[in-house]
Amino acid sequence: MAVSFKPIRSLLQTGTNSGSRWFSYIGLGIGVLLLLCSIQMFINIQQLLSGESPRKQGYDYISISKTITNETMGQLDKNLFNENDIKEMAAQPFIQGVSPLVATRFQVLLSAGDIIPFSTNLFLESLDNNFLDTVPPNFTWHEGQDYIPIIFSSDFLEIYNVFAPGYGLPQLSEATVSQVVVYITCNGENGVKQTFRGSIVALSDRVNSIIVPKNFLDWANNKFGNTNDVRASRLYVRTKDANNPTFLNYLQQKNYKVNKDKTKFGRVKQVLQGIFSGLGIFGLLVVILALMLFSFYLQLMIARSKDNLQLLLQMGYSPNWLSKNVSKQFIPVYILVVLIALGLTEVTQWAFHHFAMFDRPELSSLLHWTVIITAILLIALSLITNYRMVKKLLYKLV
Amino acid sequence: MQLQLQQLLPVYFDEAPRHTSEVWRRDLSFSKGEYVKIVAPSGSGKTSLMHFLYGLRNEYSGNIVYNNQNLRNYSAEDIAGYRKDHVSIVFQNMRLFPEQTVFENLELKRQLNPFHPVEKIAEMAQRLGIGNKLSSKSRICSYGEQQRVAIIRALMQPFDFLLLDEPFSHLDEVNSQNAMQLMLEEAKLRNAAIIFADLERIDYFPYTRLFHL
Repeated sequence: MAVSFKPIRSLLQTGTNSGSRWFSYIGLGIGVLLLLCSIQMFINIQQLLSGESPRKQGYDYISISKTITNETMGQLDKNLFNENDIKEMAAQPFIQGVSPLVATRFQVLLSAGDIIPFSTNLFLESLDNNFLDTVPPNFTWHEGQDYIPIIFSSDFLEIYNVFAPGYGLPQLSEATVSQVVVYITCNGENGVKQTFRGSIVALSDRVNSIIVPKNFLDWANNKFGNTNDVRASRLYVRTKDANNPTFLNYLQQKNYKVNKDKTKFGRVKQVLQGIFSGLGIFGLLVVILALMLFSFYLQLMIARSKDNLQLLLQMGYSPNWLSKNVSKQFIPVYILVVLIALGLTEVTQWAFHHFAMFDRPELSSLLHWTVIITAILLIALSLITNYRMVKKLLYKLV
Repeated sequence: MQLQLQQLLPVYFDEAPRHTSEVWRRDLSFSKGEYVKIVAPSGSGKTSLMHFLYGLRNEYSGNIVYNNQNLRNYSAEDIAGYRKDHVSIVFQNMRLFPEQTVFENLELKRQLNPFHPVEKIAEMAQRLGIGNKLSSKSRICSYGEQQRVAIIRALMQPFDFLLLDEPFSHLDEVNSQNAMQLMLEEAKLRNAAIIFADLERIDYFPYTRLFHL
């Protein structure tokens, strides 16, 4: 016949100090609620910002430059990327490719010939072809060719069309711009001078620059600018997710400047995740605090019932059986507390999804399974700590 | 089933005066069915001996061996089983739950390892003259009544050895004899030994062995 715990229950003096017990229950409930809500919100952010935005070939292309500060002004070696910088960046796991934007190291003069009376000093840059969004087949150059194909930023064309009327110049459509033949004059420091013909073969939405074939620029820099040194003021980076917090952290740490707009979501995500991580840790602390409070309550209860429990042990009651049964008394309460917290988390999630997110399809009104698993783990954690505590205290009485 | 005492002596006792004792620092062996009387003046360690034998304390040198196993090596669970199944005790200071009724006190012991059906509680209480006290809280019972409750409680379980530590200190002659009779009957039922420690010899305990502590 199984020994009944019922007559023993009245021997445990819970006493008048049930206030501390209720405090610990409420504390535990609040802690669990905070923890579960934080986990759910963390998951919500992941789901919202996991970047379903359309990207070419599934990659983001970002231009990165070094931040020029008052201290580094005028020090080219500090403001330009050298080969080591490029290698190091290429080695990062979140980066799928790096290409330097190499600029001209000599003076370039562009004129539009007789049709459009316009000439300006400007710069040319080159970039690996696979970093460009549009590469027409005629975007090539070989030595001796006096024609240079140009890929032009659509933004620059827009700017030109803004100021052109003020200078009495014709505004150009995307279609006609490729018809215009321009003359590019390269002036070397060494007095070498050469003029090339050029035309715009494509417009680029991605790269804010005037791009010429890489082999042309390498040749020209050597000829007019007398340098082979790869030093770029800008790098183009190909990454799976420009909003990846590790990627952003890396940039921040290196003090690299990046187009804020492209990584805006990433920064928001980073901040929100930080907030909810903090909240989650806080929730965990509250849970620990509540469990500690509860263990004090247990100690108090066992201290008050010490004589009775000791006598039970003297009569031959097994300390293990007593520990199990004393701690079993609290199982329903623990389960109830965690279930209530879980229920409130579900209500919060539903309200968040419905009222704040207007039932966006990326999110669910139901709790994520990790939240439910965490709740189960918390119940187990409470029960185990409780049982161990009671057992320890009871074995002291033997 | 044997209960052996090997060179037993409480650690807080002086070595020298113990040469006169017939228990301390001796090798003794008690078997089932024996009635052992231990006569001991105050302060000679009677209660200590009983507590050692019951496994309540272990501040002794030497060994207590039950069924070829040293009591010292028992785990907390082993000790619980030892008290539940093999050895029962009537404490000198009764040790009842003050806020529980007499019946509850007895039932708490009985349910642990029932030797008797629950009806036996009332029957025994009746026999020892406390039948009308079953529903009273034990703290409002007189010492004499409490002592009888403690005696009945010891008889609720199976045992090989029944330890009695001045069990009649609060009882008159008639009640003592009555209780002794009941205990003898119960011991016989289990073929158990009784180890009875008291200040002086008691005529109505038919001891088979006598020791002076």
